[in-house]
Amino acid sequence: MKARAVKGIVVKDLRETRRDRMAVFWIFVFPLMWVTLLGAIWGGSSPPVVVHVGAVYFNESAPFTASTLIGIMENVSVDGQKVFRITRYPDESAGLEAVKAGRIDVLLVFPRGFGKNVSSGLQGKVYAYFDRSDPQKYQIASGVVKGFFSEFEREMAYRKLNITLGYVEAYFPKNLSANFSPSMVRAYLVGMMDPIDLREEAVTGERPSPIKFYVTSFIGIQFLFATMLTVSNLLFEEIEKGTLRRIAASPATAWDFLVGKMLSTFIVITASILIGVVYSKAVFKETVFPGPTGWLIIALSAVFSMSLGLAIAMGTRSMKATNALVNLISMPLLFLAAIVIPESILPGWARPIADYFPLGTALKDLRLLEIYHRPPSEVFPDVAWISINSLVMLLIAVLLYNWAIKRLQ
Amino acid sequence: MRAIEVRGLRKGYGDFIALNGINLDVDEGEVFALLGPNGAGKTTLIRILAEGLSYDSGEIRVFGEPLSKKTARLIGYAPQESLAYDDLTVRENLEFYANLYDVPGKRVDELIERFKLPAKKKAKELSGGFKKRLNLAVALLYDPKILVLDEPSTGLDVPSKRELWELIKEFREEGKTVLLATHYMEEAEALADRVAIMNEGKVIAVGTPEELKGLAGNESVIHVEGILRGTEAILREFRAIERENVLRVSVEDARKALPKVVEALVEGGSEIRSIRIEEPTLEDVFLKLTGRGLE
Repeated sequence: MKARAVKGIVVKDLRETRRDRMAVFWIFVFPLMWVTLLGAIWGGSSPPVVVHVGAVYFNESAPFTASTLIGIMENVSVDGQKVFRITRYPDESAGLEAVKAGRIDVLLVFPRGFGKNVSSGLQGKVYAYFDRSDPQKYQIASGVVKGFFSEFEREMAYRKLNITLGYVEAYFPKNLSANFSPSMVRAYLVGMMDPIDLREEAVTGERPSPIKFYVTSFIGIQFLFATMLTVSNLLFEEIEKGTLRRIAASPATAWDFLVGKMLSTFIVITASILIGVVYSKAVFKETVFPGPTGWLIIALSAVFSMSLGLAIAMGTRSMKATNALVNLISMPLLFLAAIVIPESILPGWARPIADYFPLGTALKDLRLLEIYHRPPSEVFPDVAWISINSLVMLLIAVLLYNWAIKRLQ
Repeated sequence: MRAIEVRGLRKGYGDFIALNGINLDVDEGEVFALLGPNGAGKTTLIRILAEGLSYDSGEIRVFGEPLSKKTARLIGYAPQESLAYDDLTVRENLEFYANLYDVPGKRVDELIERFKLPAKKKAKELSGGFKKRLNLAVALLYDPKILVLDEPSTGLDVPSKRELWELIKEFREEGKTVLLATHYMEEAEALADRVAIMNEGKVIAVGTPEELKGLAGNESVIHVEGILRGTEAILREFRAIERENVLRVSVEDARKALPKVVEALVEGGSEIRSIRIEEPTLEDVFLKLTGRGLE
């Protein structure tokens, strides 16, 4: 390899990039906009969930009515924020229209006699209509509403139990048996009513910061999208201008050329990543600064991405086609490889892409290392997988380079 | 010594034959012009020599050695299009190529000075003439023995063209071999020691400009200028070329042909500005050999 030729290509590309306003925007300004925008939107702590509830009930004169229950619901709050937002409807059909139109998440219908039944110690029926068109929204609304009713039932059951136990203690024969006391009856009844006593304790764990997540997303965008786009454009400019023929005729080899192109792109992208990382620290007081293993993963991923970009540029016949293909490949992968969204919200069919596509693996590992502070040894098998893929893609790029040179001739 | 020897060179693109058995010898220290219309195969031949373009069959030797990456170092090439990167300055462009060819940095300064190039100006701000000079400077970076120029004066105004021709003459005085492709017969006549006339992938005649003009025999040329109408009859009856208000008619006996030519033009409604009888040029030779003009 001729070091001077490689240096020449790197210096030339860096100078050209610095003077190209569009390149400066996409490489430096756009990522900062990304960090700012997502940081501003998702950077704070998540607000408590609010469920929009519609209620249909009849006025009754019983001690406990549907109106009482809805009143209790209205006052349930978490961290000072009301959990249920109640809208009352005159009849069931009006409430169902509201569910279908998406104005409320659930409609609760209390049939006539609900209050009378519950007040008399009998079972009260409630119909809950959920909008299931959005599974995620349904799960949240269903969980919160059912949780409320479950808690409410438990409270009612305990109150009934206490009343019952009051009678038991008053009328229980005092000398019946040493082993059969009112406290034993109470414990038995509690066990029957509430077989498992789940106690919730608060633990302050290591919560992944949204800012850190989006800083890693930004790094992912850079090494997936920006490197591919930059290197493919740099190459195609040489093809369109006719300078690639000249470079191929010079003493510089295919490796000199490709290494030069990749190094210049990597320098630009690294600078861009550093700017984003520092910017996040300055604006949001939080950031991710990759350690040595993190940088190794970034470098290997960049080699994969750049080789793919070079392969695309050499396989297409115009700059437009190159850009279109780069966008076509990288844009869906930003989502499907869980680069800009968490893997947990990906549909089942997309999970293998996030797990096995080298750049998805790379970002997952980067997050494990830099957000969850896992030891590097945990990601080494993945690093091997990324390395193999990057090497294969690099060899493909070299083969396509030689083919492209022949095609130009 | 032969600087370039080409034997039986063939190159095709699919069904199209760009070079059809070219034989050519270029002597060391001479300016050798490839003259022919667009599509004659000049650029293909030059790109094989200077850019390593593949060919189907034949043999090429450079100073006795088979053409290779090693002998390519003996050839400096200035293509038709600009080699400069628009956003880089003249100096940065030269530095890039100097790095590629591993040439010492001081050579860049020498060339900037020699070609009077504006070192700090971006390539995109250069005039056509300076772009050609920059191309020449790149071609001369590693001080090659042979300079290959593809249509060097295309797109240049007259003063820039003259300056460029002076530079090419200087190269010959320095002992460099210059191979230039052109479709301007005046360029070939002004610069070349020898000319190869190319047409449809073949070399159809080689010689000094005087030798080639001799191929026209005793013919002379009636040169007419003006707003010309009714030239169809002349083009049918005589071997003639019409271009930009100029008509050149090759004839054996100018005295006999002149009245016929004038009569046809007057009848057609032409406004003749001047008529003169001239010696044949290389273009007239090309017309005689191929039946068509150079452009």
